[in-house]
Amino acid sequence: MTVQRADLAAEWRAALALARKELRIARRYPLNLANEVLQPIYQFLLPSLLLGATFLVGGRAIGLEASTGTSDLAGYLFLGMIVGGLAGTAFWEIAFGFKREMDAGTLEPAWLTPTRPETMVIGRAIGGLAIGGSASVVLIAIGWVVFGASFSAGTWLALPALGVAALSMIGIGYLVSAAVLRMREPNFFVDATNFLFAMASGVAFPVMVLPDLVRWVAFLLPTTYALDILRVHALGTRPIAPEPIEWLALVGTSLLACGVGVAAFRRTEHRMRVQGTLGQH
Amino acid sequence: MSSPVADLRALGAAGLKEWRLLRRYPSLFIGFLFWPIALPVSYVLQADGFAGGSDAARDAFASRAGTADVAGFLFLGWAAYMWISMILWGPGTALRTDQIRGTLEAVFMTPASRLVVIFGPVVSQVVWAVWMFTVVGVVLTVFFGAPIGPLEALRALAVIILAVPALYGLGALFAAVVLRFGEVGAMVQGVRGVFTVLCGMSFPIVILPEWARTVALTLPPTYLIADLRGVLLSGARLVELLPDLAILLGLGIGLCLLAVVAFRRTERHARRGGSLAQY
Amino acid sequence: MSGMTGPAIEARGLVKEFETGRRTLLQRLRREPDRRERFRAVDGIDLHVGRGEIFGVLGPNGAGKTTTMRMLATLLEPTSGSATVLGLDVVREAREVRRRMGAVLSDGRSLYWKLTARENLEYFAALYHVPAAEIRSRIQEALETVRLDDRADDYVERYSAGMRQRLVLARALLPDPELLLLDEPTVGLDPQSARDLRDRVVALRARGRTVLLTTHYMEEADQLCDRIAIVDHGRVVALDTPAGLKRTIGATEVVRLEVGSTPHAQHGDTPLLDRLGRAGEVKHTARENGTLNVTVHTPSARDFVPAAFDAARETGATIEHVEVVPVTLEDVFLSLTGRALRE
Repeated sequence: MTVQRADLAAEWRAALALARKELRIARRYPLNLANEVLQPIYQFLLPSLLLGATFLVGGRAIGLEASTGTSDLAGYLFLGMIVGGLAGTAFWEIAFGFKREMDAGTLEPAWLTPTRPETMVIGRAIGGLAIGGSASVVLIAIGWVVFGASFSAGTWLALPALGVAALSMIGIGYLVSAAVLRMREPNFFVDATNFLFAMASGVAFPVMVLPDLVRWVAFLLPTTYALDILRVHALGTRPIAPEPIEWLALVGTSLLACGVGVAAFRRTEHRMRVQGTLGQH
Repeated sequence: MSSPVADLRALGAAGLKEWRLLRRYPSLFIGFLFWPIALPVSYVLQADGFAGGSDAARDAFASRAGTADVAGFLFLGWAAYMWISMILWGPGTALRTDQIRGTLEAVFMTPASRLVVIFGPVVSQVVWAVWMFTVVGVVLTVFFGAPIGPLEALRALAVIILAVPALYGLGALFAAVVLRFGEVGAMVQGVRGVFTVLCGMSFPIVILPEWARTVALTLPPTYLIADLRGVLLSGARLVELLPDLAILLGLGIGLCLLAVVAFRRTERHARRGGSLAQY
Repeated sequence: MSGMTGPAIEARGLVKEFETGRRTLLQRLRREPDRRERFRAVDGIDLHVGRGEIFGVLGPNGAGKTTTMRMLATLLEPTSGSATVLGLDVVREAREVRRRMGAVLSDGRSLYWKLTARENLEYFAALYHVPAAEIRSRIQEALETVRLDDRADDYVERYSAGMRQRLVLARALLPDPELLLLDEPTVGLDPQSARDLRDRVVALRARGRTVLLTTHYMEEADQLCDRIAIVDHGRVVALDTPAGLKRTIGATEVVRLEVGSTPHAQHGDTPLLDRLGRAGEVKHTARENGTLNVTVHTPSARDFVPAAFDAARETGATIEHVEVVPVTLEDVFLSLTGRALRE
């Protein structure tokens, strides 16, 4: 094996070890794990579902059908919730997770090793997506059994879009981590940007209801396209744009997120080594 | 035995201490401006999506909610949610936070009345509550054209004041329970979740099933939200809401008494088990 | 490329400056000049650490020891100067340095308390790029070295502070490093745990590893180190073996006197101190609760003590207590800087 390949294999093993470490620690907080499933339900789904129910005419969501092409209120919201959870990985598992480790004193010994900090972002992403992905499967099952959400067989065709969006979250994770590692108190920043990101992606409502002034933000986010493709195939909603263009936009914005994110992260890492702020908490 | 005057002073000092601690986190101040606007706006946009330009859908909402003012309906519901969140995360966790920091034992060694310990953190919260409702009122009036005049504002203030014993009693009760059982995060999320689902923050409770409506009517936030919507969106007078307000006040007195009892039991348990200083 | 026979560490003119104060976003956008004050934590340190030795860096808090360690550990970039670790530049070849070096720069808080010791080490072994086939044996060896092998499957939250510190040392051993950096490794430990950890460090040298150790405990430096650099205000003020450093102050014994005043002592302490200075070298004086504490360096306490009593009688003072101790590194530091190590 060449030196580069051996190095790459070692980096990959380190990323997996980090993911495994996150899962081991998560297992020791069973209430928090349960909350991964419960919190999106009572914090987002139920209030939204009940609000939607207030607009039903003869038991049908005719208003939602007019704006999106589907009257499956539960299905519409559930898919939004899944993608919202995916976006949350970048903000809370990756970025805020870094800050949590820094404050706990466990980041510094990790940066004393030959593993690249960029690899640690990937490791965090794998761990976060594993937890989030498992929660999503449970949520979909709950949606189907309890709330009567139904998805067409064509949903499988949209799963690659979800995969690309998951990869793009790594790029977003790099970008948000770069900001968070420079802040003393990043809680509000992470909370607010995660919220705005999710809203702009169409998690809670069709992006076309956003005011003209801010709608362009939605078109910069990979999750907007991934969610739209998912809803089109699963529920038969009207797409924002023709599907080939949506795919192009999804891949393009994902690459942009990764490129900008990695550059910003490397800059922050270098700054931390110059200023000596790695060990500060 | 401590004098009432000394205890009042101690209460003020406890509130000032919490305020000073809060001041060390400037991002919280931005949060108190951001969330009262961003959260309701997201639901207003969602409501636009659910209405889809259909008059029938909007009429359905108006007949169930008792008002066609969707923005006002949602802003007031979420303002109450945020007030409750502030209480649960603030005074609701203050005792547990003190225990974790190691300052609880020092507080317990003073002669100050235990009422000061339970209700002290509440005092600093009142400022934020006033601020938040003011922000909501201004946004509704300026951006959504809600007809909130001085009379309506005064009526709303009266409802809020009458809700104070209930909500802060809830916070104090929560603080005693959290101190006893720990697991702060999960408990806050759980309680917040119950209120979100049952108290009509984003919907009228008439659409809930019968059993859920019964439970909702035992929770103070249900009355707070319904009465605020009544005075600000439907022009209801206070005298028309007397039964509701009486229940709210009654719940408040009951919750405060329950909080004192719960706290006394928790303190006794902690003294026996030595857990005042434990984390 | 790593130099196999060169020094373990070579630092030349190492400087680290920090800016104090904040530069707001508005100031940056306006491109206003940077008016923040600069503080030199390390002010031109030269070090040469040979392979297989335990080298100590001794100094008070704030002397620049930790900053120097962090630069050598590649966590901090020097402002100027250069440093190589095992022949590799700490800035340009940082990753290679990290492959060959283990470091203990923090305490037990840098572990995952919700994991067992073994789980912690499994994670860090992967980060250290320990080959998959060797991870198990490496972990076992590290645990045995620090004598935690029987508690490997306990959660770290159940460990004592001493055990956590040993686990941190075990973590630093995972890459089978040629060089170990230990920054204040015994701070916060009880005497037994501290002694235990020092024994581990000596055992590591016996296995051929090089250790760079910082401490503000002079007994620790004296006991463990082959050579010591004394650091103050970011500079090396002396460098030698412990015995060599003690010889520099030209005394073999230190006499500590407690002098009470009498009604006849009319002219203050000066007459007494002048007379004492003729018999030995007065290094340090301090008044505490009416008692004058005097520290004197002398080649022979046997000759000095009677002379001290004579001096006290002549000046109307009373010597209440006499203590004769061997020269310590504390005395060396005092002699070089005029301050105590633990002020």
